[in-house]
Amino acid sequence: MGFTVIVPPPTSKRTLSLGVQNAPEFACLPLKINLGNFMEARELGADTIIMAGGVGPCRFGLYAQLEKEILEDLGCHYEILVLEPPERGIIDFFKKIRKLTEKVSWWRIIQGVRLGYKKACFVDKLEILVQEIRPRENELGTADKIFAHSLKTIDKANNLDELAEAYGLAKEKLLHIPRNEEKEVLKIGLVGEIYTLLEPFASQDIEKRLGYLGAQVTRSLYLSEWINEHLFGGLLSGAVRQGFSKHAGPFLNHFVGGHARESIGAGVLLAGEGFDGIVQVAPLTCMPEIVAHSIFPSVSDTLDIPVLTIYVDELSGQEGIHTRLEAFIDLLWGKRFSLDHEKTIC
Amino acid sequence: MNIRIGIPRALLYYNYVTLWKTFFTLLGAEVLISGYTNKLTLDLGRDMVVDEACLPVKIFFGHTAQLLEQKPDFLFVPRMVSVEKSAYICPKIIGLPDILEAGKKEMPALIKPTMNMVSTGNIDSFLREAGSCLTTDRRKISRAWKIARQEQNAEDRQALDKSRSTEIGAARTGSKLPMLLLGHRYNLYDDFLNLNIRKRLWQMGCDLWTPEQFSEESKEDTIKTLPKAIFWTFGKDILGTVRCFSRLPGPKGVVIISSFGCGIDSFIGNMAMRYLHKAGIPYLNITLDEHSGEAGLETRLEAFLDMIRWRRPFNEDHISSYGTPLGDPEGYAGIHGVYGYSATSYQ
Repeated sequence: MGFTVIVPPPTSKRTLSLGVQNAPEFACLPLKINLGNFMEARELGADTIIMAGGVGPCRFGLYAQLEKEILEDLGCHYEILVLEPPERGIIDFFKKIRKLTEKVSWWRIIQGVRLGYKKACFVDKLEILVQEIRPRENELGTADKIFAHSLKTIDKANNLDELAEAYGLAKEKLLHIPRNEEKEVLKIGLVGEIYTLLEPFASQDIEKRLGYLGAQVTRSLYLSEWINEHLFGGLLSGAVRQGFSKHAGPFLNHFVGGHARESIGAGVLLAGEGFDGIVQVAPLTCMPEIVAHSIFPSVSDTLDIPVLTIYVDELSGQEGIHTRLEAFIDLLWGKRFSLDHEKTIC
Repeated sequence: MNIRIGIPRALLYYNYVTLWKTFFTLLGAEVLISGYTNKLTLDLGRDMVVDEACLPVKIFFGHTAQLLEQKPDFLFVPRMVSVEKSAYICPKIIGLPDILEAGKKEMPALIKPTMNMVSTGNIDSFLREAGSCLTTDRRKISRAWKIARQEQNAEDRQALDKSRSTEIGAARTGSKLPMLLLGHRYNLYDDFLNLNIRKRLWQMGCDLWTPEQFSEESKEDTIKTLPKAIFWTFGKDILGTVRCFSRLPGPKGVVIISSFGCGIDSFIGNMAMRYLHKAGIPYLNITLDEHSGEAGLETRLEAFLDMIRWRRPFNEDHISSYGTPLGDPEGYAGIHGVYGYSATSYQ
């Protein structure tokens, strides 16, 4: 559409450190990383930020406002355009897009949005495949290497045909990975706050770790689903759709912001589908997830499914998380064997 | 025997006590309110919720546990989603009834009507559910609600008038340093939770200001300039108060009280601090948690007050022309009484 898009460098320790120095102490981890990303993008010459907004009660809705204030105080002058969810007025939403894309025709805008959205959908589909292969592959890490490479090819695709080709190729490669189909694996539902679920750096690769420890992971949220629900009001098709939130009752009967209902709902639904355990991951002080965390013990009791809650913050020691996941996996195996009479001795 | 309804002395109790109490009493119930917060409350509450929950929520659970000893028939835990258009209360408060039911403790039946005025101002279903255990007569309920609303409004107005009345205004001309105590009501008025900060500041010679001494309208007006409307009722209250207070003339200070892990305070508190910093008003940010050592707080308050008092009055060379007061004239618009202190009068 005639913009130079500056992608901030992948989130690193430096990003986090920049964010932590300038963000409020008790703000949640995504804000700190986000702020660090913006500061690093600034070093590369970015002058406008486009980000999503929200209307509460989760803090995410005020990210843009607070980040602008912080950046201004630091002397970084950014133009920030916030895309609010369409509930706040679809006309306003289009006006903002218009302001951004002054001379570009609507046709090209729609094409651009469609391509971006399709990319997200395909990436999600590949990711589900990777989650399935990870615990079963003969050589750990093969699927992740292929996935990382296909992300690049998908990113380079300029139109739908190229995109479909890149996707097909990646899928083909993933399906040819040598693996042990008969291997017994645990099934774990990964639920929690969206940013920590989607950004491996923030959650210290919890998803990968679980996969390598022999568990097939299913997430409660995928990016394409979020884009569809949050920015387009569910109008688009093709997203990975799960609709977990309606299963949250009777444990959590009201929307509390963020993805607390999805977390609880996913827990309830996956327990019914015979999953072995649930891992909840959230940034420290995340308000909605604290509500979900407080309610999980009763979900766990009622439906007999073990739940592990992990809060992530700027501490980057990895062994703590790894040990906890290992212990959790061991317990889950223990539980499965104790239910399986053929394998129990007494 | 009357039906006994328990209300924990925590969280929104401090905002709506008169309202709930009058409402249920008028409908013929006996209202039980838990005692003042003490060490036991905190200990009980801490065992009932996850560690990551904030201090006021832990105290809320402690109060419900203590209320159970009085054997109420019902516990009133409304789900306060929103009390005004396009603004919420707080995720944890919205989830309270669910968290309470998920707990291991045996609870009496909960009255947990949902108050949600985010898109509509309609509270009929809230009232019906709130009164359902006492009566089904809708007219009786709406009459009780009307009277309760009047009482609550009268009380709010009284708090407002106190700051406007002339005798207080006269008292304010004394040598006391105006100090704004900023935070959620349940932090400001729970003397155990905030380690008696109100009394401490008063003893150190401060003239205490609190958010309810500024009218809702003026608070709303001052934050209209923000590029994006704040969607937390308490957040709006805090930012509006800061702006109103900073327009009062003369030297002054702000003490911000927040609780550890409060999501709203982490954002709003930071915005307030940035504003105060630019306005050149000294502020002190205090984060409350389970620590009950008082010396740390005492030292910080003392140091803060010393700093303000040693500051050179910044407008000493500013001589007012006839009829115009020193400082920002907006604070003088007849709203906040008559102020006559000079910059040095308290030194």
